[in-house]
Amino acid sequence: MLEKLLRRRVIFVSGKGGTGKTTVAAALALLAARNGKRVLAVDVDAKGDLAAALGSRGAGFKPQIVQPGISSLALQPQESFQEYLNIYFKVPRLARLTPLARVFDFIATGVPGPRDMLVVGKIAYEERRRQANSRPVWDIIVVDAAPSGQVVSHLTAARSLLTLVKGGMITAQVQWVDQLIRDHARTTVVICALAQEMPVIEAIELDARLRAEAGVAVDCCVLNRLIPMHVTPAQLRVARAMSDDAHASRVRERLGGPPQPLTLALETAAELNQTDSARGRQLREGLRVPVIDVPLVVARSSLAVSRVVAEAIDEATG
Amino acid sequence: MSAQAQPASERRRAKRSDVPVFAMGHRLGNLEVIVCCGTGGVGKTTVSAALGMAVAAAQDKRVLVLTVDPAKRLATALGLRGIGADPVKVSPRALHGAGLPAKGEVVAAMLDTKSAWDRLIERFAPNRGTADRILRNRFYQRISDAFIGSHEYAAMDALYELHQGGEYDVVVVDTPPSRNALDFLEAPNRLADYVGARLLSWLAGPSGFGRAMSFAASPFLRLADRLLGDDTLEEVADFVRQLQQLYGGVQARARDVYRLLRSPQVGFVVVTTLEPGPFAEAEFFTSKLREFSMPLRAIVVNRVLPEMLRNPNAAAAATVLEEHPQIATWLSSELDLRVTADTTRAIGETYKLFNALAQRDARQLSRLERLGAVPTSRIPLFTDEVSALEGLVRIAGLL
Repeated sequence: MLEKLLRRRVIFVSGKGGTGKTTVAAALALLAARNGKRVLAVDVDAKGDLAAALGSRGAGFKPQIVQPGISSLALQPQESFQEYLNIYFKVPRLARLTPLARVFDFIATGVPGPRDMLVVGKIAYEERRRQANSRPVWDIIVVDAAPSGQVVSHLTAARSLLTLVKGGMITAQVQWVDQLIRDHARTTVVICALAQEMPVIEAIELDARLRAEAGVAVDCCVLNRLIPMHVTPAQLRVARAMSDDAHASRVRERLGGPPQPLTLALETAAELNQTDSARGRQLREGLRVPVIDVPLVVARSSLAVSRVVAEAIDEATG
Repeated sequence: MSAQAQPASERRRAKRSDVPVFAMGHRLGNLEVIVCCGTGGVGKTTVSAALGMAVAAAQDKRVLVLTVDPAKRLATALGLRGIGADPVKVSPRALHGAGLPAKGEVVAAMLDTKSAWDRLIERFAPNRGTADRILRNRFYQRISDAFIGSHEYAAMDALYELHQGGEYDVVVVDTPPSRNALDFLEAPNRLADYVGARLLSWLAGPSGFGRAMSFAASPFLRLADRLLGDDTLEEVADFVRQLQQLYGGVQARARDVYRLLRSPQVGFVVVTTLEPGPFAEAEFFTSKLREFSMPLRAIVVNRVLPEMLRNPNAAAAATVLEEHPQIATWLSSELDLRVTADTTRAIGETYKLFNALAQRDARQLSRLERLGAVPTSRIPLFTDEVSALEGLVRIAGLL
């Protein structure tokens, strides 16, 4: 499954806010790079969280190398628009404060069609870039995309614009962007979820909307932050007996620490195991794509978390 | 055994029989507007609903919980199906059954952004003809859905209307799940900027985009025509021209909304978890509230792990269980149970995981005061899911 995923040209990673989109995007970028691909990791907002998850201080509008084989950039609609004008119309970069520049800014960031269009347009432009030997500049582009509420309007931006704009040069350009987005061989979406009620509901809704409204392929869903161990009844029985008044003080003495926190951890894990599997079942029943289980990871840096998640995805799909 | 040392199941039972205090309901119940903010996935909607209940539990007030989320989450959280544009009163009997002896009443409403925008256009348009022209414009029809900050603006506007209407004593508003919490604060001004931008005046022109106008010479227009085709720009211009007639009204409203948000009867509640990402957002957001002179009244920290899991001596015990297989034999005879080395190692590993999580939380907890000197509620992690009314009531009691 991973092999198929990494053969795509563009992967959009989406899902409800807080489900670990950025980490999963970073993990996929690391896996692609490890498979020898030249990767562009794109952050759709300027905050630069994706670059941080790849161990870099932050990203600008120009791609910069963040890991061996991985470059990263953060999208900025104004910059994309200026670049677009520059490439296709030879309009020189405009000083920030000229009236013309401000009108462009308004159009680029304020009017929904163009703004969403610039997000996917820039990605499509990077997909199309070729080296002198006509090889693509990037083998694969991994996008830390907008959350489930907004990603559909990004992915349908090109088509919406085609209904608004009749004629003009832009039509042809928008058409090829739309073709790329809806080409199931080249472009796909990975949906992130957690084993909680709303993330699961939103993942299922998003999967359906992407197919029905956007006509975009969905390859798989990553079910994130699952409790990595499965607590057995036998373990729970032993853990509870350790904290029982009849044994607690002797156990404490022998182990050099109180057993009650251990019991609590086991009970908590056992309860979370139950919601994990119930929500996992609900997700698998509601989705038409495979679900990849990824365990909860605690690590010092966000790069370290991305690395462990990459291993987990590799293992689960290998 | 001390209360601290009871295992989870017993503590939970004990907690349920405690009389809930609804302290936050007492503290914040004198406000007229409570704005809950936080980044996506921290349980903001749940906390807003619970906060509304805490206020109704503490005081004889009519409380409206307003959610602006397109995902209809509050409906799910309140156990209601198909909340419409009309507010729905949460049945007092259901509340009572869930353990909330409410003095006041709780009403839930979901903002329908599209109709909120249509109302706004109708309200501020100088006449019916202008309103109709805007409502029919294809750009407008897309804008109310996707305009930057459109949910945020509609929420602010509806909040203002509801507050002015005086039908409710307290309005608790759950802010939209924008990736950038600031969109919410900046929305009113930003809309006024868009509508009013003088730059757009010349774009719209005194008499529009006649093809023969001197504009045709302007590089912008030549460029725009090549880009978009002729009719499109005409239509944009018409939209901008119509929209400009709304400017006075929208600008005045933005001022009113800001005045309301800075007034003493309004309070902001920041909701966060202790995960590093959401917590960093909360820190950023509280600093922005200070910058905007908007009053932070409370912080709710959601999904806090029990303090017991940070016990370093227990971590030492866990290491013994993980690394000394022979401990299984000793435990087996002590507990008179079959204990294998796999079992003891699993117990040790499980504690280590939760201990690591709890320690990560602790790093954020130590920075909690820096968010602001305001009352703070810690809501424990509930391993069973909070979506039914009972769960909300349980949280309300802990606030």
